[in-house]
Amino acid sequence: MKIQLSYVIRRVAFAIATLFAAIVMNFLLPRLIGGDPAEMIASQTALGSPDVANALRKQFGLDDPSLVHQFGSYIAQLLHGNLGISYFNYPVPVKDVLWNALPWTLGIVLIATLLSYAAGWFIGIKGALKPGSWFDHSALGVSFFINSVPYFWVGIMLILIFAYKLDWFPMGQAIPVEYDSLDSLHKLGSIAYHAVLPIASLALASIATHILVLRNNLIRVLSEDYMVLARAKGLSARRRVFHYGIRNAFLPSFTGFMLSLGHVVGGAITMEIVFSYPGIGMLTYNAILNHDYPLIQGAFLVIAVSIIAVNLLADLIYPLIDPRVNLN
Amino acid sequence: MKAKSASAAGASGHNAKQLAGLAILAFFAAAAFIGPRLAPYPKNDIDFEAWLKPSMKHLLGTDSYGQDVFAQLIYGTHTSFLVGILAGAITTVIGVLVGLTAGFYRKWVSDALMFVVDLLLIIPVMALMIILASFLPSMGLTSIILVIGLLSWLYMARSIRSQTLSERQRGYVEAARVVGMSNAEIMIKEILPNLFPIIAANLVSVTTQAVLAEAGLSFLGIGDPRSVSWGTILALAHSNNAIMYDAWWWIVPPGLAIALFCFGFVLLGNGTLERYRAKRGAQQHFS
Repeated sequence: MKIQLSYVIRRVAFAIATLFAAIVMNFLLPRLIGGDPAEMIASQTALGSPDVANALRKQFGLDDPSLVHQFGSYIAQLLHGNLGISYFNYPVPVKDVLWNALPWTLGIVLIATLLSYAAGWFIGIKGALKPGSWFDHSALGVSFFINSVPYFWVGIMLILIFAYKLDWFPMGQAIPVEYDSLDSLHKLGSIAYHAVLPIASLALASIATHILVLRNNLIRVLSEDYMVLARAKGLSARRRVFHYGIRNAFLPSFTGFMLSLGHVVGGAITMEIVFSYPGIGMLTYNAILNHDYPLIQGAFLVIAVSIIAVNLLADLIYPLIDPRVNLN
Repeated sequence: MKAKSASAAGASGHNAKQLAGLAILAFFAAAAFIGPRLAPYPKNDIDFEAWLKPSMKHLLGTDSYGQDVFAQLIYGTHTSFLVGILAGAITTVIGVLVGLTAGFYRKWVSDALMFVVDLLLIIPVMALMIILASFLPSMGLTSIILVIGLLSWLYMARSIRSQTLSERQRGYVEAARVVGMSNAEIMIKEILPNLFPIIAANLVSVTTQAVLAEAGLSFLGIGDPRSVSWGTILALAHSNNAIMYDAWWWIVPPGLAIALFCFGFVLLGNGTLERYRAKRGAQQHFS
């Protein structure tokens, strides 16, 4: 199970190309659409003062007539880790604002993804073993329903039921008011307690795809010729399903798992607003409200970089799970 | 074998799914285009007491501004319906064009197109929509439709391409070529009709995604501020603490409306697909 070097190089090159595309988009989009962002910001924040607009233009490097030069200095700034200054949190650098928010988002997204994957797997397998049973039917029905409602609505409903009506969990925030006075064990406990509903909502909202993909894959695999052969050989049903079926059904769903991460992150943005959870999503929301453009761009970059990194990781793990990948 | 007979049975059940899906969508179309004339109160009418519970006078109660939620829901249907249908249509046209071209032409055209698609697939669409929408000078219904329509075609292009790849191996493409049809003719007259079921299945999911994306963007406050949609109703409910007032009538109905609307598309799509498969299975069986 050795990974070929050429494969690794190809995947890394692809990740770098993706990163470059994301950076180019982040650079070009505001410049292509907004006309002059400096003027727009000045009109929104400083009554359209031409001095402010000029100063902003300088800060963005927009006074340079050449787009290529602008891009060059933009890249140079990025390489120094400089994402600009947040307007709303002036004079805190965008980087620091993002850095404080990132762990919260990463935490709930990763845990929710793993949970929804595990649960979706379990439900999908159970359904595929008895397609058409009441369990399979209701799992499919619920999946279609969840796939048809907005992520944030699932969150609002869970708050309504479990926080407002039943009062089992807090209605929002990541930490309690008295957080600073707690000892470290209780601090951890309170963080976990506050994270239960956001994680549950995110996991629930993204479980449907996993159920559907795994169920359909497994049903397809179970009807393959080698399964008929396995049956003819007299292998037990348990061995056929677990040793032959699930292993093969898992492979395509692994790629799906990685692609779905982008969806989950997109969902987390609105989910955090529902829970006033202090992650990247909440930050983006406030940045939009305050027309904090450097922060919006920075948030986009952080999201893009995280997703690209996780995808690269998955690409590199994949040949260990499925040796056939190395062949082409 | 078992799967084939099951889908044939589904077809002989005379696509009840298709009919049910169509009925749901017709209901929403009526609500979108005739509804505003029949709505009990004018749009954004704030003549009532706030936080009224559902009653005969206000079927779904009133919100914190004293607006009738049921009336707002009807006006919202119009926006959400238009966004779903039009953004879905834009997505489908681009997805089919790119997918068909990338699947039909081999070598560099295909490679180049798919490279771009794969690149963009990794970057979360929602984040891309946010950055695009927040830098646009003003968001109207048209910009919303364009932003969603122009950014959602990637998955679709991929699946259309892989289907095209398998279609172009078939005998009828070779036959068309022998007869002297041009590439464009083969693509549009021969291959495209055979892609119909896969296009239908994708159309369903892109329309659903468009409705959900609009709701998400409105919830983030970057939708069209002047129009009412299911998303803006939910956004207002959330920012005005509807939960704290136990105003479930402000929260549950818009979510269910979105779910039912999307479910209509799912039924229609699945029904169409089943019917097509059964037909095609039968054809292959007899030929």
